[in-house]
Amino acid sequence: MQRRALLALGAAAALPAPAIAQPASNRVLKFVPQANLTSVDPIWTTATVTRNHGYLVYDCLYGLDDQFRPHPQMAEGTLFDDGGKIATITLRPGLFFHDGEPVRATDVVASLNRWMARSPIGQKLRSYTEELEALDDRRLRFRLNKPFPLLLHALGSVATPTPFIMPERIARTDPFQQIRETVGSGPFRFVQSEFNSGSLAVYVRNERYVPNPNAGPVSLTAGPKVVHFDRLEWHIIQDTATSTAALMQGEIDWFEQPTPENQLLLRRNRNVVVELMTPFMSLGIMRFNFLHPPFDNPAMRRALLPAIQQSDFMIAAQGPDPANWRDGVGIFTPGSPLASDAGLEPLRGPRSIERARQLMREAGYTNQLIRILGPTDILNPAALTQVTIDLFRRLGANIDPVLTDWGTVVQRRASREPLERGGWSITCTTFAGFEVMDPAGHFPLRGNGRNAWFGWPDIPRLEELRDAWFDAPDLPTQQALAREMQIVAMHELPFIPLGAVASITALRRNLTGRVPGFAQFWNIRRA
Amino acid sequence: MWAYIVRRILATIPVMAVVALFVFSLLYIAPGDPAAVIAGDQASPEDVERIRASLGLDRPYLVRFGEWVWRILHGDLGTSIFTNLPVATMIAQRIEPTLSLMTVTILFAVSVAVPLGVVAAWKQGTIIDRLVMAFAVLGFSVPVFVVGYLLAYSFALELDWLPVQGYTPFSHGFWPWLENLILPALALGTVYIALIARITRASMLEVLNQDYIRTARAKGAGQGSILFLHALKNAAVPIATVVGIGIALLIGGAVVTESVFAIPGLGRLTVDAILRRDYPVIQGVVLLFSFVYVLVNLAIDLLYTLFDPRIRY
Repeated sequence: MQRRALLALGAAAALPAPAIAQPASNRVLKFVPQANLTSVDPIWTTATVTRNHGYLVYDCLYGLDDQFRPHPQMAEGTLFDDGGKIATITLRPGLFFHDGEPVRATDVVASLNRWMARSPIGQKLRSYTEELEALDDRRLRFRLNKPFPLLLHALGSVATPTPFIMPERIARTDPFQQIRETVGSGPFRFVQSEFNSGSLAVYVRNERYVPNPNAGPVSLTAGPKVVHFDRLEWHIIQDTATSTAALMQGEIDWFEQPTPENQLLLRRNRNVVVELMTPFMSLGIMRFNFLHPPFDNPAMRRALLPAIQQSDFMIAAQGPDPANWRDGVGIFTPGSPLASDAGLEPLRGPRSIERARQLMREAGYTNQLIRILGPTDILNPAALTQVTIDLFRRLGANIDPVLTDWGTVVQRRASREPLERGGWSITCTTFAGFEVMDPAGHFPLRGNGRNAWFGWPDIPRLEELRDAWFDAPDLPTQQALAREMQIVAMHELPFIPLGAVASITALRRNLTGRVPGFAQFWNIRRA
Repeated sequence: MWAYIVRRILATIPVMAVVALFVFSLLYIAPGDPAAVIAGDQASPEDVERIRASLGLDRPYLVRFGEWVWRILHGDLGTSIFTNLPVATMIAQRIEPTLSLMTVTILFAVSVAVPLGVVAAWKQGTIIDRLVMAFAVLGFSVPVFVVGYLLAYSFALELDWLPVQGYTPFSHGFWPWLENLILPALALGTVYIALIARITRASMLEVLNQDYIRTARAKGAGQGSILFLHALKNAAVPIATVVGIGIALLIGGAVVTESVFAIPGLGRLTVDAILRRDYPVIQGVVLLFSFVYVLVNLAIDLLYTLFDPRIRY
């Protein structure tokens, strides 16, 4: 018997009516997510943690396997007519929301309409959609102005916001307002009464959920979602050292995102497994502000390339173990179908600060101020920013590092003002692998000027290629277009790719069957 | 006395009004944008603008301030921008852990620090006095989070006597509740033990040199009676002041301790709200803290009359 248990027994004997903590039930899974679950509306916010919450509570028409092929989840199937301009989706029978109401096609239409207002690929789909209507309780129909080859892919998209299906009365909420109820038809029910944002979120198994036997192999979000726990508890622990200790002690079962230094500790514990969360790493980027000097000048952006050593950025972010990062990466998630080496020559070969300095002079750089904006409270972007600052110091540039909390960074980077009025020149961040594996949700790759993501690059050719990609009929065509996009991007440099960081997770060794990708809670069981 | 209490309570109203004005104004001019945080890293500037408009953050200062004050006057602290939950509900969820932590910490700190200070004064200049003072210096010097990590490593990870983290409500039983609070209270209490022990010692030294103590000794009073009945009661006013200040300081200390031990209290709620720029929550919590601060000061002032009947209000 352990001493702690003995102490508890001693106290039990001394007290009149104690409530002794029971050992964690095998039917309860305790999980520490990467961040606090602040909002429970997966359409209103793009927070990854809310997307993961969404996959518990809601279901999608389609799921994607790890090769990004769509497989039906709520859908029984889809019939295409009129050369792909009519798509009729039939819901599988026996779908019920957690409030007991059956899932109807009108719920799906309302949910997709709300999603299409916020999701990048949804917005694209909306621009192709002439009409989306419910034909009866189980069938809905897209009438498109031209074929949208990515339709099923979009309906199973794992990028945020995700096309989750909600009851119509909830899905009619303005997409820029939060929903007030959490009712889905997914494998878990959210226990609102136990929700304490910043501390605890509780889910219980949805007894009425029937896993789809025709959902393909269990892979990413495809496959039958078989739940092996009655209760799932998300414990929000902000301090990673505390989460690490709690996992080592068995107080929790799964710690989603340990920091590199904590991974070292966890690897030494024989009761804990430390492994890749997903084969798709996050992309680090150095983003330029195209609106103001000196980086409104493409020659100035290109001048930096000989000095960029991706491994420097990656080591700062994830430590020296190359298993935790990749260098030599381009604009798409390494390992994903669209990733390639096209146009990456400037990032290869011997690196030279001197050469970069010379190119900066040739580009007309005469010691103008360069403001580098970055966070201090988010691990990877903070590390990338520090290396960037060091790089510019070595280049002899006149820099003004602005290091602050993330909340301030996201406000300041929205400023289009020149530097003397609070603007910025460079900012560094990371994008989840799922977000940048194709042009659909790849915000930093947009070249639509003042409507583009912060930095506002105006590169019409990128937009043309993106549009062509949406119309591409097959993967080889998509890959060819993606290669060309990368060549254009590496020439115009809306951003410089800084490498890819792995997402590492740690869980108790007695848990098996975790589905690689992100934190998902079906298939996983206690051995 | 009662008139004084009523006067003091009424005096909290202008204090709270000034606090409200300052809190609202500071948050208004502070950098950061909750709409940008909500929209996420991938949001377009247009999305951010629409969210900002939907939250009413694009309206003028005076309109927002007026609405906020009006709601507060009606007992409504507002709704969290992020969770969509009433701020009062969020505070209610968090108040028990923080109150528990503060209560256990204060009880622990006072019960250890006062005897330590008394003994140090009694044994002035001896090795005991020096050890107590050395501990006091150490307690002041080592940050709470370092003490917290050391305690967690020793008593949770190595010895496995206590849990690493978490909080169990009192309604689940006394021992589960206390079990989760021992290490945080020890970590947080170290600073207060140091503070209270030093003040107790200094205050006792002053009292122990008074004539009436010599008289008590001459009348044959025992050492314990002299120290704890005659001297300590007369040394209690500065000690009570420091304990009162300590309660106020605990609010700040609780932020760190709650983070290290994953206690879902008001400290964490405040920090999370500040990082996200969840204005209604920040405003609500700061108002609450200010109110508590004023009440603690009032309670300490009233305690003076117990320790020293010469004090009249």
